[in-house]
Amino acid sequence: MRKVFWGLLKKDFKLMLSSKFFLLALGSLVLYSCYINFVYVKLDQKIYPVYLYDPQNTQADSEYVTRVDSREALEAACADQYSVGIDISEDRPELYLLSSGLKTADHYRMIWGGAVLNGDMDGQAAVIGINDKEMKNRREITAEFLFFELSAVGFLGLASMLFKEKQMGVIRVHGILPVRRPLFIFSKLFLLLGSDLLFTALLTGINLGFSHTLEVLPSVLLQAGILSLIMSLAGFLCAIRLPDFKQFSLFYLILAVFVTTPVFLAGQTGAAWEWIAYHPMYHLFVAMKSAYFSDPTAGAPYYMICSGAIILLFLLACRTLNREMAKEG
Amino acid sequence: MIEVRDLVFSYRKDKQTLHGLTFSVRDGEIFGFLGPNGSGKSTTQKILTGILKGHGGTVSLFGKDMQSTHTQEFFQKIGVLFEFPYLYANLSALDNLNYFASFYPKEQRRDAEELLDELDFKKDFLKKPVSSYSKGMRQRISMARALISNPKLLFLDEPTSGLDPAGAVLFRKIIEKERKKGTTIFLTTHNMLDADLLCDRVAFISGGNIAALDTPGNLKEKNSNHSIVIDYLYQGERSEKTIAAQELKSGIPFVYDELISVHSQEPTLEDMFIQYTGRGLV
Repeated sequence: MRKVFWGLLKKDFKLMLSSKFFLLALGSLVLYSCYINFVYVKLDQKIYPVYLYDPQNTQADSEYVTRVDSREALEAACADQYSVGIDISEDRPELYLLSSGLKTADHYRMIWGGAVLNGDMDGQAAVIGINDKEMKNRREITAEFLFFELSAVGFLGLASMLFKEKQMGVIRVHGILPVRRPLFIFSKLFLLLGSDLLFTALLTGINLGFSHTLEVLPSVLLQAGILSLIMSLAGFLCAIRLPDFKQFSLFYLILAVFVTTPVFLAGQTGAAWEWIAYHPMYHLFVAMKSAYFSDPTAGAPYYMICSGAIILLFLLACRTLNREMAKEG
Repeated sequence: MIEVRDLVFSYRKDKQTLHGLTFSVRDGEIFGFLGPNGSGKSTTQKILTGILKGHGGTVSLFGKDMQSTHTQEFFQKIGVLFEFPYLYANLSALDNLNYFASFYPKEQRRDAEELLDELDFKKDFLKKPVSSYSKGMRQRISMARALISNPKLLFLDEPTSGLDPAGAVLFRKIIEKERKKGTTIFLTTHNMLDADLLCDRVAFISGGNIAALDTPGNLKEKNSNHSIVIDYLYQGERSEKTIAAQELKSGIPFVYDELISVHSQEPTLEDMFIQYTGRGLV
């Protein structure tokens, strides 16, 4: 059986080479790393501008505050939905801000406005964890890029390879070869998993540095392995079930728009949707991010559900493969 | 070699595809399975090759029931030539053959290059990718793939499809050679000439039933009207007469100056098929 598996592996490796799969992965690695190192780590959020309407001049001047002459001027200055206004024309100070649409961001703006009003700007930030701003950014964006690569690009990679075999009709030939049919799936999974884990190790190593990588790599590899297996099996199923690449592309678009976009929005922005807790990809995303921050939040139920999903997808893939083998030419 | 009794199969609950086929194929025999599209021949072949499961009736190959799990040993004994040349287009002929051969025990495998040489494959193309091959070349590699494991039972689906006349003759010779080696051959085809020239026995399948099963010779003889058409010259005029074969016992039963041609009016295998099934071989 080892020899048979080796034969399948060699063939799949050649197919992956000819479909430029590795070139694509290498391109992604270079692109993501360049973006992280030359762009993302230098990004920082502009501090919320604070406008103060203080006709009695009760407040001392501060580098964080811009004075305005009237209530109207204060409202005009805060019309950008980003700035914070402080009106102390009455006895009771009033914070004025137009909602940005994101609850969390508005909450931070209010805290910042209050801090400026009370002169508590320095020494108030709590140090959370062991990361400085740059390392926090690196971990965050690396986790997001890896999630995107494994869930979208990996899915497409295996499916495009399988579509080639389907179009050539060679899947049917495997139905009459002395080969256990699950091995046909295993060899592809093995290669994809190996390639995804290597990609994960390289992406993490390049962008987090050696010592930080060693610290998070085992848990990151575990999450990457789970995501890789789930997405590869889903890609396998779709590529066999859908009759042509056009339909597959449409399905891929739906997957990207309706499945992964809410996860990114919920994870990256302040969008607060209660239903996101029922979105399976969201939990995979959170587990990946937690792994990068050495904060494993996923418990036994998560791993049990993931294992169950992998087994179920594998059984479905075997069944679909058997049907494909019995199809007419 | 193959024993089929009351074989039934349905793809859907409300539509039965095979309605109780019964036939057997002897060791070393070339058995022709002829029928129009949709008659059930591909379904039967898929059941026999273990691709399709869930049939009714009994089917046994090599003395073992097909309902039981197919072992790797079963697949090592069969070779299949599909109707279409299914090959890895990015690999060369040799790479394709070596890949497929790698699943069989070493002592069972044939040499890929020798086999391709036997199949008159152009040597310049041996290492070029299949995507650059003509249809006939692809069919040659497919045949080589079916033969590379030295199978005891060979399933051939339209073996001469896509070949030029010389190629078709070569393939028939190779099939004959396999028979001489003792290989049993299950031949599915539309091509009546192939069936007539190669098969020991043929079965006509139509609408999921076997309409007739016999040797090509017997089928034609049973349905022959035993008449002969003679073309001749008499007193400078050309004429044609149809007589019963029996009448020839005592020589040509009419006067003539010169015989031009004598034709027996034996029906063709295609005539027989239409007669038994009421359908042409489309």
